[in-house]
Amino acid sequence: MIVNFWKSLFETDKNPTKGEALHFKIFELFVVIFVLKYAWQWGPYIQQIGEVVLPLGIAQYVDVSFMFEHNISLINAGLISIFALFGFFRVLPKYSYLITLGLFHLHYVSRFSLGEISHGSNFIGTSLLALALALFFFNDDPVRRQRFTMGFIFFFFGLGYTSAAVSKLIGTGLTWPSGEHLWLWIAERSVDVSSSTGSFTPNAIQEWVLEYKFLGTLSLAFGLIAEFFGFLFWFDKTRPYIATALIAMHFGVYFTMNIMFDVYIYELLIIGYPWARLIDQYLDLDKNPILAKTYDWSVKFA
Amino acid sequence: MERRNSLTKSIKITLVTLIIYGLLVATHLGEFWPFSIYPMFSQAGNPWKRAIVQEINRAEIDSLWKTTDKNGLPGKTVALNELNVNTNDIANYLSKTEVWTPKKQSGVRKLLQKKLLKQSNLLVYQARGSLSDNDEPKLEFVPYFYFSADTTISNPDLRTE
Repeated sequence: MIVNFWKSLFETDKNPTKGEALHFKIFELFVVIFVLKYAWQWGPYIQQIGEVVLPLGIAQYVDVSFMFEHNISLINAGLISIFALFGFFRVLPKYSYLITLGLFHLHYVSRFSLGEISHGSNFIGTSLLALALALFFFNDDPVRRQRFTMGFIFFFFGLGYTSAAVSKLIGTGLTWPSGEHLWLWIAERSVDVSSSTGSFTPNAIQEWVLEYKFLGTLSLAFGLIAEFFGFLFWFDKTRPYIATALIAMHFGVYFTMNIMFDVYIYELLIIGYPWARLIDQYLDLDKNPILAKTYDWSVKFA
Repeated sequence: MERRNSLTKSIKITLVTLIIYGLLVATHLGEFWPFSIYPMFSQAGNPWKRAIVQEINRAEIDSLWKTTDKNGLPGKTVALNELNVNTNDIANYLSKTEVWTPKKQSGVRKLLQKKLLKQSNLLVYQARGSLSDNDEPKLEFVPYFYFSADTTISNPDLRTE
């Protein structure tokens, strides 16, 4: 049974398809785009920081304040970009994503050295780690590389969501979904939104939740259950359902608390559904010249 | 055979990563990017601390350090997004700093530099929220710093060096 679990996770018994190769490269492009986005979003921000308040990760061992001056963080953003693009185009394939990951970690701990612990980029970081390990250990075989990357990501994404639910149950207990807890978070977010934009006006859903406590309880209970069953991401058959539930949960967080985990939603949309199978079934990659070209290109840099 | 080797290798890499993941989060308070136990919102109902910055017209030094509610905030709230500053950073900076050394104080100033260069007078508040006895959220705003282009004054109740 356990062997079957791993076999299904890494899809070792399946024959490779064109749809799979194309889907994988699209996914990889998505990861690289977000690595570049974070690199250049954080690069200038780090220059505004004056002091390490909370050292995270490697910053607990190395003083990262050197990143705050002389545009070092911009140079780091440039290096991240170069090595991420190297990885994507398979230049120095064995090491490029590993180097990107190391530099990206340094970027993260510098950007979030002021006390906030942000999880917005964790899934992109995990995906980059998966790609880095795949290119390092399966350098000679594109199909195995793709299978390992996706299996690794399914495993750690599922684990991450379930861990989030377990953290809530340990941190608070079974009363976590009580509606008044959402009231307190809405009040917290009202301060955050005012502070960010200068004003805050509750939306209709927030007003309903503030009016009817049971709606808050229902909303939190749904989120907790969806997260708890995150491990269903490990199984091919249940993956689209749990992806849908988790996307709904993220939209719920957005409407009730004004927190948008957009990159999580995009990534769930890309990896949570059987796109490779749908491409094989409904798109004839040989007949459409644009698709044929895209496929050839994705194989060239597989 | 090749497929089996590939599977064994994939399992080994995943399990070794899992062990490293576990060791890193266990020894670094649950966080070692990109690894995390994802503890966000795990402590429901607990009091929280955030931050808000008000732009005031004239510095009434003697009346600066009054704790107030939302309606009592003086001046106009500064939209930190317009300064490219994330409100979480100021909130965490205030809540995680215990001793306000001159360097720590200038760290807050640096974040608000764009506004201070325009000759603004700023009052930085810590917002504190909690549930009251009847489960209603209650908020209070505690002033921390007054900043102007050439002045920094901290609330006398803060621990300074």
